[in-house]
Amino acid sequence: MPESDLKAPREGPANIEALRGKLSEYLECAGRPLTFMEVCGTHTVAIFRSGLRSLLPEGLRVLSGPGCPVCVTDQSEIDMALSLAKRDCVVLTYGDMLRVPGSSGSLLKMKGEGAAVEVVTSAIQSMEIARKNPEREVVFLGVGFETTAPATAVTLQQARRNGLDNFSVLCLHKTVPAALSALCSNPDLRIDGFILPGHVTVVTGLDEYAFLTKKLRRAAAVAGFEPEEILACMTDLARQVAERDFRLSVWRLKDVPIEGNPAARRILSEVFEPCDARWRGLGVIAGSGCRIAEPYGEFDAVRKFGLDPAEDVVDNGCRCGEVLSGLISPPECELFGRVCTPLAPVGPCMVSSEGTCGAWYRYHQ
Amino acid sequence: MVQVSSMKEDAVTSGHGSGGRLTQKLTERILSRFETEGFEMEDCAFLDKGGNDADIAVTMDGFTVSPQDFPGGDIGKLAVCGSSNDLAVRGVEPRWLTLSLIIEEGLEFSLLDRYMESAARTAKEGNIRLIAGDTKVVPHGMADKIFIAACAMGKKMSSRTLQTSNLRQGDVLILSTSPGRHGAALAAARFNIAAPGLTSDCALLWPSLKPLMALDGLRCMRDCTRGGLGTVLCEWAEGASLGVELVETNLPANRETNAICDILGFDPLYLASEGCAVVAVAPEQAEGCLDLLRQNSISRDAAVIGRIVADHPRMVGMKTRIGGMRCVDMPVGEILPRIC
Ligand code: SF4
Repeated sequence: MPESDLKAPREGPANIEALRGKLSEYLECAGRPLTFMEVCGTHTVAIFRSGLRSLLPEGLRVLSGPGCPVCVTDQSEIDMALSLAKRDCVVLTYGDMLRVPGSSGSLLKMKGEGAAVEVVTSAIQSMEIARKNPEREVVFLGVGFETTAPATAVTLQQARRNGLDNFSVLCLHKTVPAALSALCSNPDLRIDGFILPGHVTVVTGLDEYAFLTKKLRRAAAVAGFEPEEILACMTDLARQVAERDFRLSVWRLKDVPIEGNPAARRILSEVFEPCDARWRGLGVIAGSGCRIAEPYGEFDAVRKFGLDPAEDVVDNGCRCGEVLSGLISPPECELFGRVCTPLAPVGPCMVSSEGTCGAWYRYHQ
Repeated sequence: MVQVSSMKEDAVTSGHGSGGRLTQKLTERILSRFETEGFEMEDCAFLDKGGNDADIAVTMDGFTVSPQDFPGGDIGKLAVCGSSNDLAVRGVEPRWLTLSLIIEEGLEFSLLDRYMESAARTAKEGNIRLIAGDTKVVPHGMADKIFIAACAMGKKMSSRTLQTSNLRQGDVLILSTSPGRHGAALAAARFNIAAPGLTSDCALLWPSLKPLMALDGLRCMRDCTRGGLGTVLCEWAEGASLGVELVETNLPANRETNAICDILGFDPLYLASEGCAVVAVAPEQAEGCLDLLRQNSISRDAAVIGRIVADHPRMVGMKTRIGGMRCVDMPVGEILPRIC
């Protein structure tokens, strides 16, 4: 664990003032404006909700990255889910996926028209629903990153153990490090530092992010979701740049085991295998998706229902891809706030409570 | 040409029932068909003096809650509290009630009896009499066990009319208890999350609000039902063309509500309450108002949460715990649990 003169924050406003002072100092030392990216949607909301944005010094730009699972779900993936609902399957999903528009409406719209679409809060719950409704085909939408993927994997293990034949998973899980690596390879992008999500690293461990600091010489630090933690993380990112001392650090009130969770990783590698995945707006990123591995093939909705994930996608003018890679901020999208609002979202960034466009619209007026 | 395939508003969605911006649009759409001049359509309506000394007020509310039994209450109690509270916040003592029951074929009598006993008990506690009603039975699948529509009537007990247009710059905002307990209790039940100690705040508000009628600086009150405290304050800011400034650290908090919100990604500001009122009062009477509220057990935790300001008209701002400022907007669509 790298040493630095900052201590993990434990107090309220007094600490905030001290951290703001330090952040400004390091910014000055860096001698130029800096751009940081918060990778995770929960960070995006925490930053807006806590009013942290209003406290950041000039010369610091904070962008939201591709870490909101709803935002990065591709239109073609939603279309597969819609086609399952059309086939009379019971489609079970985490809440905010309901509103994401596919090329012909959303799951919420289909639910309004009578399709069997229900919200669940856990993957295991979806298996219980399958067990109670043996006469129906029940499909769970596996979405999210390393935080939700282990729960889907465990559910698949149990489904196999229980010999459930009316249950399957449409697996749309993605992995965060692969996306960051893709972002960094874009020469147009000038991101000086990454605020990494604490709950993802609890599973992956820190090693997966070492390429950012070691190979790419970018600042990177892990933060929890308290505003003090996020501010301390930003301060350390500025320090890393100012001192050209790129070392991953962790800013959490609770400790993150640096090795992550090996048991969760073992389950992930047993149930899933890496595949190329399509990210909304970012295109296909090699090795960034999770496909259900052969021994669990019977539970793969894509195989079971012969779904075609590679359908052509209508261009609706949404610039989520540029928003997610920090090339533009939401108001720079010509649809923002006019055609595209939380009432009538065009792109997923506006749908999710954690999406960048939605958060801008809600908190940044 | 850019092709825009956004979600078109061609049908009612569950979001229209959330109490936020979409609900506002839905009611505007309905009201636009009617002649509503002369009524300000806030919580309840005042009728002409019927030969009595006091105005008669009337309100109507529908209850389709799921699950129908929740910690701290059930649909019967909720129907009586919810409809009467719309009167109470306008300075009206709830006196009479009519109920319309839409019952799904197959509902066990034991359940029906229990809900009606619960409604009757609550009415009795509040000195409210059932004076008319209706029952309909619909085929299986056409309702969710039981829907209740309740009409509450009462007498206005204040010489002034409490309404949004009374709000003045400098008015102090007081919240009677922690926000969002009803919504959190229901969400916990609906999503099968163990939440020991979490109960809905479902309660009759009149006993705790009645003493406030003596305050001549009392401006306006509202119960924080669908859409929660956040929505009420946005409506006030928009209705009065003034700003609202909240202080996050002053908000009464409930540990269990916060725990559920953390798990599901909700904000207690937008979750429904069924026994929580926000009160606007002239600054010189804020202390007195607080004392009066704290004398009643359901508003024991009452606290000053902010004030009405002239800055940022029509917007609600919140001074956050860490000293930042953020905007509190009306929720849009149904509040759904987040993914991670
Ligand atoms: S404002 Fe709407 S259309 Fe524009 S990038 Fe954001 S989500 Fe897409």
